[in-house]
Amino acid sequence: MTDSLSQEIGGLKAVARDWAARHQRIENLTWPAGKRIAVNFTADFDAMLLRRLNNEPPMQLAKGEFGGRVGIWRLIELFDAHGIKATIFTVGRICELYPQALKAAVRSGHELADHMWEHRVPKELDVERDHLRRTAAALAKFSGRRPVGSRSHHTPTLLREEGYIYNSHGAADHRPYYVLDDKGAPCLLELPFHFAIDDAMFFSFAWYASANGEQRLSDTDRVFDMWWAGFMQQYRQGGYLNVCLHPFVSGRALRIAMLDRLIARMKTLPGVWFATCEEVARHCLEAHPPKRNAA
Amino acid sequence: MPWKDRYTISNETSLADAELRWPQAKRCAVHVVVDLSVASGPEGITPRDIRSAPAIFGASEGLALVLAALAKHELKATFAVPAVTAEIDPAGIRSLIARGHEVAAHGFKHEDVSALSREEEKARIDLTTRILTDIAGRRPAGWFSLPRQKDPFAGGTISPATMDLLMEAGYAYMGNSLADDIPHYWVTDFASRRAILTLPYYYHFDDQFFSMFPVQGSGLENSDMLFRNWRAEFDAQYKRGRFFTMTLHPQHIGWCNRMAGLEAFLGYMASLPDLWNPTGAECAQYWSATYPAATTLGLEPSIWKDYPDSLS
Repeated sequence: MTDSLSQEIGGLKAVARDWAARHQRIENLTWPAGKRIAVNFTADFDAMLLRRLNNEPPMQLAKGEFGGRVGIWRLIELFDAHGIKATIFTVGRICELYPQALKAAVRSGHELADHMWEHRVPKELDVERDHLRRTAAALAKFSGRRPVGSRSHHTPTLLREEGYIYNSHGAADHRPYYVLDDKGAPCLLELPFHFAIDDAMFFSFAWYASANGEQRLSDTDRVFDMWWAGFMQQYRQGGYLNVCLHPFVSGRALRIAMLDRLIARMKTLPGVWFATCEEVARHCLEAHPPKRNAA
Repeated sequence: MPWKDRYTISNETSLADAELRWPQAKRCAVHVVVDLSVASGPEGITPRDIRSAPAIFGASEGLALVLAALAKHELKATFAVPAVTAEIDPAGIRSLIARGHEVAAHGFKHEDVSALSREEEKARIDLTTRILTDIAGRRPAGWFSLPRQKDPFAGGTISPATMDLLMEAGYAYMGNSLADDIPHYWVTDFASRRAILTLPYYYHFDDQFFSMFPVQGSGLENSDMLFRNWRAEFDAQYKRGRFFTMTLHPQHIGWCNRMAGLEAFLGYMASLPDLWNPTGAECAQYWSATYPAATTLGLEPSIWKDYPDSLS
């Protein structure tokens, strides 16, 4: 009895040790001269694709369509008005539905990054690679270059092989960190994203078919206060904030107004670095390169 | 728009703020929708819904309070009325029209039609139109399919045939779509550009999702959030010169502190200059004449490519 319990402890310790070894914190992280915090405004541009994938009813698709017809344009306008370069994680298929918006985003200097071909990661590795390549080629037609970042469950080693340098999907640390492969070799930089700073968690009804008792219905004053507190918590310690927005959610007029206030307030403080995810990733890779774990 | 069947219902981009013009050079449009259905779920109005205390309140005191508040601020509303509701209180429906409000159709009994056959759905639309025409003395110009509290999605349910059937039945507009925050066209056939005008709806401006939602007694009373949402959206849309819409249910919004919140908001809104407050039909008439589908909808052929390993 005691033996089997000890064995269980040993097993779980090994799992924890292996998992910890896949994550590498950046110690003494610094930002470019004069900068105290890096802020990434990111938009997940999936419009009605996710809802189509989940076979949701017509009105749900129409709700998503708001993102492509209205929301993405308002986000671009908002970022441009503040001189902010943002990162737009774009589902590959969106290129065939909203090309005008993507052209406008590139014209304004925003980064286009991968958000899966049709908002899913295929189980078969070959198909997964096809999806990744197809999305990269579709985005490159607009931006003139291959994307270097992703927000997805895509296999990290595959992303690495395909030339990606970062993913913005995990939350193992407040600050950017490295994920390593199973052999201890550095794989990708993670630009942490957290659901607490994600508009869909507060304003989107029936996210992933969640039941009515679980609905996220909130208001912009409440979310403004929470996100401001989040920003300040990181600002004080010279950290990082990734704000995840969905055009069909945050593109609503009341939320654009809230984001406008939030950005204006952030700008009252010195040393706020509003950058694209790629800029933050390249800074980290150059100033704080990953180390290979000793085997 | 690179059109894609079963993905898109309208064109690629909305009209920009600067392209919008309202009658008499008004600054912002305000559409008030009052839903008189007491249906709690997809089956539509049931005996149990009718035999509830809120149903009595909503049809009497709650409705009277909402009507008084609208009258005080000289606001007109579009009432979404199921055929069954009109049959239960025909005189009440007629009095709405006498007060200058519009009566629009809200289904036979505000039921989910998404699984009905085309024939069955057509029969229900025709019957509903006939009943409302007889009672109100005029044909309804608009049709609504608003969500109910127990629906899985807060957008309203329609079938693949609904929009076509409404056009066939002569409806000038459908009252709730989510693809824009101004009136927009819902296209049912790309080749012929067949489309119906839809008016915007959004659940964050609908009282039922902040009033003991998901069910009575849940304790999830968030009417303070509703009032903040109304105020924030109205202010933002007024500034942009666009369109504000709110959806009211007398059995919800008429109660106590909620009613006080509605009165305060209507008072604030009505105090601002240059509001255009059409009913649904007035809005549809203006929009169809000023921004006709033929010149407003820029639809481009699909550039979609099919791949064996992804959704078509």
